[in-house]
Amino acid sequence: MNENIFTTVCPGCSIACGMYVREKDDGTFNIDWRKDAVVNAGKLCRFGVRLPANLKAAVSKVDGNEVELSDAVTALGNAIGDGAAFVSVGNTTCEEHLALMKLAESKGAVVNTGMGAFSAISAECHSTMGVGVPLDAIESAKKIVLFIDPYEQYPLLVRRILAGKKNGATVTAVGWKAVSLADDNKTIDPANYESELALDSDSVIIAEINPSTDPERVMVLLNLAKASGAAIMFMKPFVNAVGCDLASKKTEQKSLDQIIAEINDGSIKTLVCLDSDLIEIMPDETAVREALGKLDNLIVITSRASAIADVANIVVATEPFYKKAGTVVNAEGRAVVGSGEGTDGIDAIGVMLGQPADLFAELNSAVLATLGIDAVDERVIPVYEKPEYGVMDANPTAEEVETALVYAGGPFFWNGIVDDNDFVEMNLDMLTANSLLKGIPAKIVSDKGEVVIKYKVSDVAPGVVLSNMKLPMTTGMVTSVTVSR
Amino acid sequence: MDIGDCYVGWATDEDIRTRGASGGLVTAMLAAALEKGLVEAVVVLKKLGEFEAVPIVTSDPEEVKAAAGSMHSVPIVLSRYLEYGTKVALPAKPCDARSTIEQAKRGQVDIDTTYIVGLNCGGTMHPAMTREMLETVYKLDPEEIVGEEIDKGKLIFETKDGEEHAIKIDELEEDGYGRRESCQYCAVNIPTMADIACGNWGVIGDLAGKGTFVEINTEKGIAILENAIDAGAVEITPADEKGKAIRAKVDGAMMKVAAAADKKYLSPIEGSHLDYYINALSDCINCGACKTVCPVCACGEGAKCTEFSSSSDTYKMSLFHLVRFVHLMDSCIGCGQCTDVCPADIPLTHIYQRFARPIQDEFEYKPGMDMTTPPFFGVDLLEEGH
Repeated sequence: MNENIFTTVCPGCSIACGMYVREKDDGTFNIDWRKDAVVNAGKLCRFGVRLPANLKAAVSKVDGNEVELSDAVTALGNAIGDGAAFVSVGNTTCEEHLALMKLAESKGAVVNTGMGAFSAISAECHSTMGVGVPLDAIESAKKIVLFIDPYEQYPLLVRRILAGKKNGATVTAVGWKAVSLADDNKTIDPANYESELALDSDSVIIAEINPSTDPERVMVLLNLAKASGAAIMFMKPFVNAVGCDLASKKTEQKSLDQIIAEINDGSIKTLVCLDSDLIEIMPDETAVREALGKLDNLIVITSRASAIADVANIVVATEPFYKKAGTVVNAEGRAVVGSGEGTDGIDAIGVMLGQPADLFAELNSAVLATLGIDAVDERVIPVYEKPEYGVMDANPTAEEVETALVYAGGPFFWNGIVDDNDFVEMNLDMLTANSLLKGIPAKIVSDKGEVVIKYKVSDVAPGVVLSNMKLPMTTGMVTSVTVSR
Repeated sequence: MDIGDCYVGWATDEDIRTRGASGGLVTAMLAAALEKGLVEAVVVLKKLGEFEAVPIVTSDPEEVKAAAGSMHSVPIVLSRYLEYGTKVALPAKPCDARSTIEQAKRGQVDIDTTYIVGLNCGGTMHPAMTREMLETVYKLDPEEIVGEEIDKGKLIFETKDGEEHAIKIDELEEDGYGRRESCQYCAVNIPTMADIACGNWGVIGDLAGKGTFVEINTEKGIAILENAIDAGAVEITPADEKGKAIRAKVDGAMMKVAAAADKKYLSPIEGSHLDYYINALSDCINCGACKTVCPVCACGEGAKCTEFSSSSDTYKMSLFHLVRFVHLMDSCIGCGQCTDVCPADIPLTHIYQRFARPIQDEFEYKPGMDMTTPPFFGVDLLEEGH
């Protein structure tokens, strides 16, 4: 059986690890390790290794019926009128994202990346929030502070942090759960970050921005970086979140919560989602499904089968991510291109815009201009200006619940894929206090419902039930629950 | 032509002779196997850059010819790409050949339809390390490199300006560069388990650098070489005794170097063994890459190592690894693939070898060396009355 081999990046997160995809004639594929990839030296996490199990091809549909791509594109053209809202969180190439922006512009709209923090925080901070530091900088830092759990959220950072430790760095983790590679695991009031962490210009702060991140929390971390001179890197859960943010700069953005609210109040009647599955991405799946059901038209342009495609009025199925032509910018700001040559999504939008077939070339030039480069060289990170920003008055929201169900990685990372993560974690005191017994699953109850699930004893903060997967009784990033057996 | 015969051979095609290593015999032999229908497919490395190549399974002789030349910075084991039942040939470093044989013992490879064209190997390097070494030790831009070779204990890089830059491998490895750790202590340099063993050791006189020394090990070895001669793709001349002696001497020297590295890297663990293994595995992120890439693992998805362990376990050491350490005691060949792909940089090959070496010595079983000895964990169910 013949194979087509694509040089590509893993679509799992904003590290954008290099890999090969080996696609057979029948459309099935395997992954392979690209050891010369500068980002990851060929190493992949569980998501990358299991990509063939997690990535299924999309099918074009109109009103639930399978159709040819061209028919879906025609239906799409007829369905999008003025007043439509557009979402692309960063799961596609810069060029395809730009194509959607052109379409949105033609309808008097913008494309929302859904990252509420970017709308809430002044533009002078956006470059620092968007583009991080080279991964090599983690290895040469003297102090590394983690506001993420690298084992669960961004596993390819683990080797970088370990290399930093080997080079003499001290590692402090601030979070819900103790991280074994940290020299020090702390729970710190944000007001005391500066004094307790004692960072300087040789330090690196690693945190995350996702669509539900509290902007005030981002401001606190930006203040910390500014005051200490430390470098800061905000990881993103979507492979090209940084590239799409760069492409979308200067446009007024709505958060995903705002979009759902506007669907509910009737302001948005048509929603176009480009490789953005709000059902998977947002914490309260039931609420999202209810809102999407109120739309006149839900239009999904997607490179993979996912929950939102099942409820969409129109599905425009494009080629899988690994076959797409175009540019991805990772968390470091590094631009990478794969060997894919597919432009289904761009061509579909080009048809609607009456644009000739060379739309990709035009968009690619625009991407290179935005990055300030003539051509992509994965070994050279483009230079980004990071303007000075002022200190911000920030008051992160404290979740006042007695027992909190919290996502270890947020509901965004890996879009809630079930993968040997069907358990929750809590500390021994929680077990004792709630009379849990070894071998008997825990019952976790919220206002929305209950779940009976395995648990694991871990060094988790008091009162926290940590979950790696989105549970059906979840109402937000943090859900008030009771635990019993 | 008989088993045990030794020759020096070269490609008749000038282009292959120039681009291929040591006269291009292996490339010519593999291409001829396809052209004459001896095999349906050949597994080769398709070159994508000076330090990057991807394995392909091809039926196109031109793709085989395009793959001519050695790539020491592409440490990939090709046996993973074999498909059962296909008449196939592969160029095989000793680890490629040994893993092919271990897979054949477990019914994953049909050894009768697989032509193993062995290549002498003194070791390979990880491309990321090679790039770093070029920048920090050689003071060269990796993008300026147009070729590399290992000769007389030196690692030589050729740059675009035609200059050669050589440093002794010993010195490089002293500084933590050079060959991968597992290659340093690998003592199997000549693939005697392959159908035919090829390399430049023992090629002397006028043919030095222009010919390949060939040792015939099996009937399949005779078939693939005679096929190439019949096709007019290859010419050979009998190897002289002096060449054979030099080849054996080089092999002996390499084995001594390997023994020293073995002592250096695999010396007994000091202190608590349990603590050593707990610490070594503490950063595992449960990706499973080590199993997926392992060229001797024949278990597939529902394996003991995966079925008996879960991320929800609270053991101090993962059962996944413990099961694998035990399970691979009879088959681990120390190829280094698991270490290469480990996202937490856990030295897995090193650990597997710590488990495997003592038991393989105890049972006098060296995996992948021939088809006659079954794995010592193997049980003949028919013989047992099942």
